[in-house]
Amino acid sequence: MSEERKQIEQIREAFEQEFGRFAHLRVEIDGLSLTDAENLSRELVELKTKHTGKKSEIAGAKKLIGRVAPEERGAFGQFVQTIEKEIVAAIEEIENNLKNFVSKAKIEREKLDVTLPGKRPRVGHLHPITLLRQRIEDIFVSLGYAIEDDREIETDYYNFDALNIPEGHPARESQDTFYTTNGFALRSQTSTVQIRAMERRGVPIRIIAPGRVFRRDTPDLTHTPMFHQIEGLCVDKGITMAHLKGTVGVWLRRLFSKETKIRLRPSYFPFTEPSAEFDFSCFKCGGTGIFENERCRPCKGSGWIELGGSGMVHPNVLRACNVDPQVYSGFAFGFGLERMCSLMYSLDDIRLMFENDVRFLEQFR
Amino acid sequence: MNISYNWLKDLVEVDLSPQELATKLTNVGLAVEGIHEFENDFVFDIDLTSNRPDCLSHLGVSREIAVIQNAELKIKNANNEGQRTKDESQNLVTIQDSELCHRFTARIIRNVKIAPSPDWLIKRLEAIGERAINNVADITNYVMHELGQPMHSFDLNKLKENRIVVRRARNGETIKTLDEIERKLDDSMLVIADAEKPSAIGGIMGGFESSITSETTDILLEVAYFKRENIRQTSRKLNLSTEASYRFERGVDIENLIRASNRATELICELAGGTSEEFVDVYPTKFQPDEIESKNIQFAVKRLTGLTVEETEIIRVLSALGIKPKEKSQDSNLKSQIYVVPSWRHDLVIEEDLVEEVARIYGYDKIAEEIPPGKSAGEYQPTEPRKKSLRKTLADLGFDEAISYSFIDVKNDEKFELLPHLVHENLDEKFVTLKDSIIEGAVRMRPSLLSGLLDAVRTNFNFQKRDVKLFELGKVFSASNKENELPNERELFAFVLTGNEMLENKTMPVRELDFYDAKGTLESAIDVINPINAPSLEFIAKDVKHLRKGQSAEVLFNGKLVGTLGRLSDEIAQAYKFKQPVYVAEVDLETLLLRHYVLNVETAKFTIKGNEVKLTYRPLPIYPSIVRDVSLLIKRNVSFAEIKKAIESEN
Ligand SMILES: [Zn+2]
Repeated sequence: MSEERKQIEQIREAFEQEFGRFAHLRVEIDGLSLTDAENLSRELVELKTKHTGKKSEIAGAKKLIGRVAPEERGAFGQFVQTIEKEIVAAIEEIENNLKNFVSKAKIEREKLDVTLPGKRPRVGHLHPITLLRQRIEDIFVSLGYAIEDDREIETDYYNFDALNIPEGHPARESQDTFYTTNGFALRSQTSTVQIRAMERRGVPIRIIAPGRVFRRDTPDLTHTPMFHQIEGLCVDKGITMAHLKGTVGVWLRRLFSKETKIRLRPSYFPFTEPSAEFDFSCFKCGGTGIFENERCRPCKGSGWIELGGSGMVHPNVLRACNVDPQVYSGFAFGFGLERMCSLMYSLDDIRLMFENDVRFLEQFR
Repeated sequence: MNISYNWLKDLVEVDLSPQELATKLTNVGLAVEGIHEFENDFVFDIDLTSNRPDCLSHLGVSREIAVIQNAELKIKNANNEGQRTKDESQNLVTIQDSELCHRFTARIIRNVKIAPSPDWLIKRLEAIGERAINNVADITNYVMHELGQPMHSFDLNKLKENRIVVRRARNGETIKTLDEIERKLDDSMLVIADAEKPSAIGGIMGGFESSITSETTDILLEVAYFKRENIRQTSRKLNLSTEASYRFERGVDIENLIRASNRATELICELAGGTSEEFVDVYPTKFQPDEIESKNIQFAVKRLTGLTVEETEIIRVLSALGIKPKEKSQDSNLKSQIYVVPSWRHDLVIEEDLVEEVARIYGYDKIAEEIPPGKSAGEYQPTEPRKKSLRKTLADLGFDEAISYSFIDVKNDEKFELLPHLVHENLDEKFVTLKDSIIEGAVRMRPSLLSGLLDAVRTNFNFQKRDVKLFELGKVFSASNKENELPNERELFAFVLTGNEMLENKTMPVRELDFYDAKGTLESAIDVINPINAPSLEFIAKDVKHLRKGQSAEVLFNGKLVGTLGRLSDEIAQAYKFKQPVYVAEVDLETLLLRHYVLNVETAKFTIKGNEVKLTYRPLPIYPSIVRDVSLLIKRNVSFAEIKKAIESEN
């Protein structure tokens, strides 16, 4: 072997000696800490600069090619190149292994539990009565109704007389109306708005009036001395009970489902004649009375839910608003929002509505 | 009211099963709330509306069944002719007040033997939930439930001079009633007296002294009709409601008295072995049947219900209900008709009442569903869209919406500083007060929303919920400064916050909430109800009664005082046992919503009294903005507002 070849062999041996401590990284890297791997990478970069850069010994060895006999020059040149390639390949293999290991280790280190809760400020909740009122208002506005409201403290005239409940009428003496010391009444039904609105707007008229009403009921599971009602009123020429039934039907079908059915039952209210209770087929059991093999709760197994009172506006009420009952007719209906809400959510204690317990309010959106 | 199926079958042919009958009755307006079995009978629990006292008996319900099934009643019509009294008993009954007592019949039955009733009678009463007492008492009770007519039996020998005087009580007169309570009477009340003293409160309850005992042998059976309004009034005054008063105040059938008296007499003679003797019928205020004119009943039915009902069916229904067409002269309008209302129906007065009778029997289920032709565009309340934004913003900021009672305890009266111009301070009674309440102490109509919100905070603290943000929109009340005028109502907006800023689904707090969270909330809330670029609220340091000094502010909008904001005073916090800072704000929402910016499209400006906001956009600056951080050394008592103003004045 020529002197020159020997020299090259020495360069390779020198490299292999220094490279020895990296050799085990040729196989799959295991049991290495990320920091160690990063340190090794750095050291490997130094090794690479030393053994493969322009100032490396192998680069310098290329000058030896000129010294070799011309006929051996080709073979020798190839030999040098092979050694250089081996060195570069050995380093790069480890380099890649380390790089892969480091990036894997980093991904592992930065791995997140995507099931942890997202970062978001706590969002509040509107009161269930507000939510239901807004939904019902939206439906009636789309049906061409105006939303009305008025006073909560009223005169006897608006709370009773104009609604065909004259003095001495049992409904007036039932003692469930709150009075102020000045003799004004806390409205006991939103029907007062019928009168106020007809006075203001005249006829034809199409309104619903949501609002607070007050009755002297001792609070219990199904009663509170204050609650909310929605009153509906439609007066025009040619209005009939069929329009009442149709309107209530459209509204409840939009609120619950397309399959909802409406039932009117004869009843009595001083401010309507004829009068009717309006019921709808139960939204839970679909009118079958059975839900999940048990007696359905909201409808008590009857398949029907009694929601409110309705009827054709009494001619005395129309006259009180200067509307000629011979020319105009109209329907009116009214129902309680708390009752409807408690049916919808199977709420068994209506008093929770006004306790403002956050654990209750949080359940609605 | 309880009605026995077997009993009904005595009075009318029934071809329907109890279940079918219940459905039919409900459909015509006699709501059957339940059916239960009693031995070999079925008992209906019927929830009657107050206009149908005629159905407070088996006869009344039978009449409805007869109409539903197109059948005849088994019992004869009311026979109005009783045996006339003999001359010597002429003064057996004297009616001194024929306005309050329209008719009074009395029958003497002698030699009765008071004993327990036979089994069949006891069973009948037990079926409908009535307790048996003795034969005579049970028979009068039985006949009331059968025919709807309350009646009373006196021990004849305990009546002074064996006679009856129907008169008003004298002021201060007393009577010990059957329930052994001494009751004080006045001259608005009607009594059934003997020659000396009251023996019964007319139509309400008999007296103890003249009542039937096991020693009684001769009885006087009273079957009468009293003025409805007076019975109601007396029953209220005495706070005494009985099965008799319940029926009399709603109205019984004045033409049914003799039938009822005869029925009871027959049964007493049969079951207690007496002999029927003198009978008197004093009837000073004769019944005049109501008449209802209808120009065209078929048209009226169609006009109000949309139902097309054959004329023959209308006539059948009305006749079956006892509503008889009055004979008319040949030349009168063919369709126009006067209908005569039967004596047992007090609720039929106008044509619309007849329409309901026809419709309910014909069937409300046959009414179609139609939508009235559309003529108007729907509209929300003018302030609703802005209130909706306000609510939404508050919810987004983590606030839950509260709704509190409108009546609060009077002890809150002087606690809170009320919004300006809310109450008239010079009035003796500046608040609105209830005569009485249902919730103890809560007679004050709230002049502020804060007490309700603070009660809610306490409720939540009690359940270990210490991070609370609540808001409420609602009306407050104050007395008018003009006499006899309705109180003022104004809509306010208030909120309360306390504890920590919280993240959803995390129990670790982010940081403690402070004054500036409250202020920021109020600014956000009011910003969303105003156009963009509108001047925001102004805050001025000011002492406010319910707020802690140094952390309280008055809130101004467009130069007008509209509310207060700050940390709850230590005094109130202690009263509520709050151990952590609580921040509250209350603003006059109504004023804010009414004094809102109005858009003028022509000038492209939102305007409000003394202020305007341009609608047009400002061209974007060409260069990026530069932020400079400047530190100033300034005395502590110089406010940020003053510094800002000074810098801005330099332009
Ligand atoms: Zn159901």
